[in-house]
Amino acid sequence: MTMQSSSSGLLDRPRSSGLADVLDTVLDKGMVIDAYVRVSLVGIELVTIDARIVVASVDTYLRFAEAVNRLDLTQQEKDLTDVVGSLEEGGAKSKTKGALDGAKEKVGQLLSGDQEDEDEGKADEDEDEDYEDEEAEEERLPARKSSKRERGRR
Amino acid sequence: MTAAHARDTRVEERKAADQAATGTAVYVYGVVPSDVVIDPEAKGIGDPQTPVGLVAHGGVAALVGDVPLGTRLGTPEDLLAHANVLDGAAAEVPVLPLRFGAVMTDRAAVVDELLAPHEQRFADALEALDGRIQLVAKGRYVQEAVLSELIDELPEARRLRDRIARVPEEASRDDRVALGELIAEGVEARRLADTRKFAQLLDGLGIAFVVREPTHEFDAIHIACLLKRADEGRLLHECARFARDQENRIDVQLLGPMAAYDFVGAEAPEG
Repeated sequence: MTMQSSSSGLLDRPRSSGLADVLDTVLDKGMVIDAYVRVSLVGIELVTIDARIVVASVDTYLRFAEAVNRLDLTQQEKDLTDVVGSLEEGGAKSKTKGALDGAKEKVGQLLSGDQEDEDEGKADEDEDEDYEDEEAEEERLPARKSSKRERGRR
Repeated sequence: MTAAHARDTRVEERKAADQAATGTAVYVYGVVPSDVVIDPEAKGIGDPQTPVGLVAHGGVAALVGDVPLGTRLGTPEDLLAHANVLDGAAAEVPVLPLRFGAVMTDRAAVVDELLAPHEQRFADALEALDGRIQLVAKGRYVQEAVLSELIDELPEARRLRDRIARVPEEASRDDRVALGELIAEGVEARRLADTRKFAQLLDGLGIAFVVREPTHEFDAIHIACLLKRADEGRLLHECARFARDQENRIDVQLLGPMAAYDFVGAEAPEG
């Protein structure tokens, strides 16, 4: 069963997991061999990180506050856009179409983008990269008007 | 220690080092029934990628690969290869996945130390997983949407926000920390509520699940589900409905099918 055959374009069904999801799974879940055997081998070095955890810190709080601040700016822009939009005939309609395209792009992003970022970085770097990636993605796709995410903003 | 002794020790050390440089160890991906057939095309960890083999003992077998001693394991390619080997196998047969990074000295050790002492336990676990797959439901809040909700809902957050806007940045640090903390608590409360909602959906389907820790601060749900293959369509349908209900608020993904990482237990059971 593939996502192409799923009944809703809103549910994202990537055909293969990106690196971030694989990290969550293969470093944090599964049987731990040391529980079964005493591994005495030397000569193989593991260079992976521990699974990432979310720990809220003052930095997190400051970022959240900044996000709220940005939200206000977005809100003001939105109010302006709405005024302009209501003057343009059919403006609203063009915003709601294309949810399927948006979903497809998300899959593409998972298959390509996610595998390149956050290779062996530390937890907080990963989080930062997440944000940067999302912003970078939007810059790369200036024409994408109406994915799920964008529609949520407008 | 005599000089001759010291020389012998040095020679032995050098021998050991030579062996280490040329020898191999055995990487273990997971445990499967012994009657499985390995896809000769299967590619495992390492660069270049190594073939995947089988070490059997009685009714159980380990999926293994050879790694040269001195290897540093853990590149993104290694992690993806580990997942691909196990998920590929899980698509066909029951699999007990090991966490990434299990290495043993040689194939004899795989039998003597891993398979033989735990054969019955592994066989029972494999039987319990037969015909079942793991899927992981992941939901990420649409940041602007959840922040707007929280600002609407929390008068204190609005008060802080307005005060922050009125003063220079360096004078508002305490307020910004307080606002951020309120938001963080609000997101956490929503995560719990939305996780509960999704868990009820799974209960309704009679599907076993494990709630995972969030790995991103805007995670809404992160839940591993274990289900019969035949139930995949029903879960997909319900997830699609959930995604529709949460449109513009939570972006929902369904990952897998994958090996049942969340249902094999990290530790060896007692006894």
